[in-house]
This record gives sequence, structure tokens and C-alpha cells, in this order.
Amino acid sequence: MSAVLLWLGVTLIAGLASVARFLLDAALSSRAGGRFPLGTLAVNLSGALVLGLLVGVSLHGDAYLLAGTAALGSYTTFSTWMFESHRLAEDGEGWMLAMNVLASLLLGVAAVAAGRAIAGG
Amino acid sequence: MREALKLTTYSGERARHGGRPLADVLMDLYARRQVRTSALFRGLEGFGAAQRLRSARVLSLSEDLPLVTVAVDLRERLARVIEEVAAIAPRGLFTVERARLLEPNGGASEADLGGGAKLTVHLGRHERAHGRPAYLAAVELLHRHGVAGATVLLGVDGTLAGERRRGRFLASNALVPMMLLSVGDARAIARALPELSAMLSGAQLTLERVQVCKRDGLLLAEPSATPAGAHGGSAWWRKLDVYAGEQTRDGGEPLYNALVRRLRAEGAAGATVLRGIWGYHGEHRPHGEHPWSVRRRVPVLVTVIDTPVNSQRWFEIVDSLTMHAGLVTSELVPALAAREPPSSADSRHPEP
Repeated sequence: MSAVLLWLGVTLIAGLASVARFLLDAALSSRAGGRFPLGTLAVNLSGALVLGLLVGVSLHGDAYLLAGTAALGSYTTFSTWMFESHRLAEDGEGWMLAMNVLASLLLGVAAVAAGRAIAGG
Repeated sequence: MREALKLTTYSGERARHGGRPLADVLMDLYARRQVRTSALFRGLEGFGAAQRLRSARVLSLSEDLPLVTVAVDLRERLARVIEEVAAIAPRGLFTVERARLLEPNGGASEADLGGGAKLTVHLGRHERAHGRPAYLAAVELLHRHGVAGATVLLGVDGTLAGERRRGRFLASNALVPMMLLSVGDARAIARALPELSAMLSGAQLTLERVQVCKRDGLLLAEPSATPAGAHGGSAWWRKLDVYAGEQTRDGGEPLYNALVRRLRAEGAAGATVLRGIWGYHGEHRPHGEHPWSVRRRVPVLVTVIDTPVNSQRWFEIVDSLTMHAGLVTSELVPALAAREPPSSADSRHPEP
């Protein structure tokens, strides 16, 4: 695969992945009543699980770049997680803030481990 | 004191007209017609007839937040503007309320409305009175005179004394409009008026009739009966306003959030939440933004507009969520909307 084609692929796949993130996030958040940022949590956990799977099946080279960096890199979001945590702090939602930060961290690491275990890696 | 009209429009950030954002088109129109005062406010949360929830709390739900524009001028002048707005946004939701424009340094006799009243003060962001921001001094004064509540909303665009004042990034924005909404007993407002208008010389003051239904959990009055017949070709709608703190809670959930969720679940025509920067709504000191605190203690205003029949149900929901806190008012407004609100959760209607 030529370098130009590869970077075009990265652009396209990253774009599609961020659209998928937006749609899933909006659907879940809307259902949750806009109170707890459930959509971002779901996106980040599912992304972590799939990245664990990719590592587990020892994907490498261009495929790993496209699936890992391009797709999952733009599907998951750190900045939104931080932004929404800050909003919870502004709202004085102490428990939700703690839950949002801790659940993302602990379940996120667990999701990667689970992905690797499923893939047998 | 002169007869005035107040036009309020409700739309979303994505609403467009002729390839431009609808709110920009409206603000340009108000500026072109030199509307005495107008302001544009960005909502915090809300939903329209399509029942799509928008909220600044969650990033993915915040790309189409509610927008509210308010324009006030003498009856004849604003009537012409309203016709133009109706032509621009035939499917939009807008309401027209009668208001009385107070002369500068007007006296207490001008507030002889009886019952409840709503006082609106339009002023620039950085206007000062008694050596401090004018809005702080004004809220303090209203609080001291025992007026039930006051909320200061920060505009991002608008006109003051007929001149365009638009908020800009990295600018002083000293004259960008802000609006102080105060509701309470008309006599209390009348007592506060002479001092207030003397303090805010030059500010635009308007008075409207309003019914104060609840305060601090106390039911003062059920929303009044609907007058029979239409008003000048448009139907009467009911506007319920709930003034509370952003942190006011019902159980664990913020009141405004619970209210929007319940109203949406029950199929209300729409609800809009505006966040203030300073105010009070019950037996407590005025509160608001504080530069050193992450946690915000600002006032919020939830507005629900629907047919009087539907609004009976919305008032019951409001009533059940304001058992301990919140200031609730009701107004009958001739809404000049071309669109009827849906009677139930109907997703086929477009957003206002």
C-alpha cells in the first residue's frame, strides 16, 4: 500500500469513526436524559475493548495503524471525558464526577484486559 | 408610561433562514428597525416539538442549543417588526406579550397593576450604579423591598436604545444587553420602582401582568382560567416560568433537569432552560457566578409554552417538582405561532 493511499485511508476511517462516536454518544446521552455522560463512557469502554482485541490478535503494520490509531483513536475521546467531568464539578454532582472518572479508568483498563483475554492474547 | 409589546422567539442554533442562522437574521432585523431594546440568549437545555433533547451538559447534545430572542418597543413600532418576523419564520414559535414601558424616573403609581407583576430591566453588561455593577445593585434593591424573585440573564447580542450591541470575543462588550427579570407582588415592585429607576437612570424598564403561582413550595394560586375566544386571530397559550437555582434539587436531581425530563417524557410541546448569572427566587440571599469556585450557584429559568388545556398537566408536573423550592409564574400570552403544539409525543413536527 502506498503511503498516500494509507494516509487517505487514515483520513477516511478516522472520519467515519468519529461520526460513529457522535451518533452512538448522542443516542445514549439523549436516552439517559442528559444528566450523566453515559454516551462518552460507552464509547470509551467499547473502544478500549476493541483495542484490546486488536492487540490480542496481534494485528500489526498498516492494518493496526488503520484500525487502532485511525479508527479507535478518533472513535474514543479523552477531551470529552474531561469536559463532561468538569461540567459535573460545576453542577456540584460530586458522586457523578467520581463515578465518571473512576468508572472510565477502572472499567477502561478492565475492558482492554477483557479484549485481550477474548482474543487469547 | 406607554403601551409596549414584547416579542419573544424560541428556536435552535441550527435554525436557518436564507442560508444564515435565524437568530442572526432576527437580530439584524431588530437592529435595522432600531428596536428600542432586544437581546439574544443562549439556552442551557431544552427541547422543541420534535422532542429532541439538547443540553450543554453533554458535548454530543450541545451542538443545537435553544436560542431565545426578546424585542421590546412601542406597540405600533413592534407590531411592524412582528409582521416581518412572522414572514421570516412562519413555522417558528413566538409569543407577544403586552407590556408597559416606564418613563425614566417613573413613580410607584405606574405599578398599580394589582396582583402579580413582572418587571424587566434592560441594561448594558458593564453599567454601574453606586460604585458596583448595576445588576448587582438592582437585584439587592429588589430583594430588600421583598420582591419575590429576580434573575439576571446575560445576552450575547441585541440592541440598547435602538443601537446594535453585539458580544465579541476578546472585546470589552460593555454595552451588550443583559436582562433582569423580576416577579412578585405588584405592590412590592411599586415600592421598589422609584429608587430603582433613579438608580438606573437611562435603563429601559417594562412592566407586565403575571400570576405568581408558587414560591418556596407554597401554592399561592392555580393558573387562572383561560379567557374565551381568540386574541386578534391568534390563540391564547399559557407560558409557565419556573425560577430556581441551577443547584436546586428535587431528590438527587437538579430541578430544571428533572422538569425537562418529565415534560419531555409526557410529550410537552417544548421547554427552554436559560441560565442566569445572578439572582434569587425565594427566602435566601441573591447568589450567582463566583470567580473562585468551580461549582456554580447560578439561577436558572425554565419556560414551558403550550395550549392552556395541555398546560394544566404541565403545571401539575411543575407543582410536583417544586414542593420545597422554586418560584413559579403563569401568563396567558397570545402566541402568534403558525404551528399548533402537538397534543402528545409526536416526532413528526419540525423543531420550532
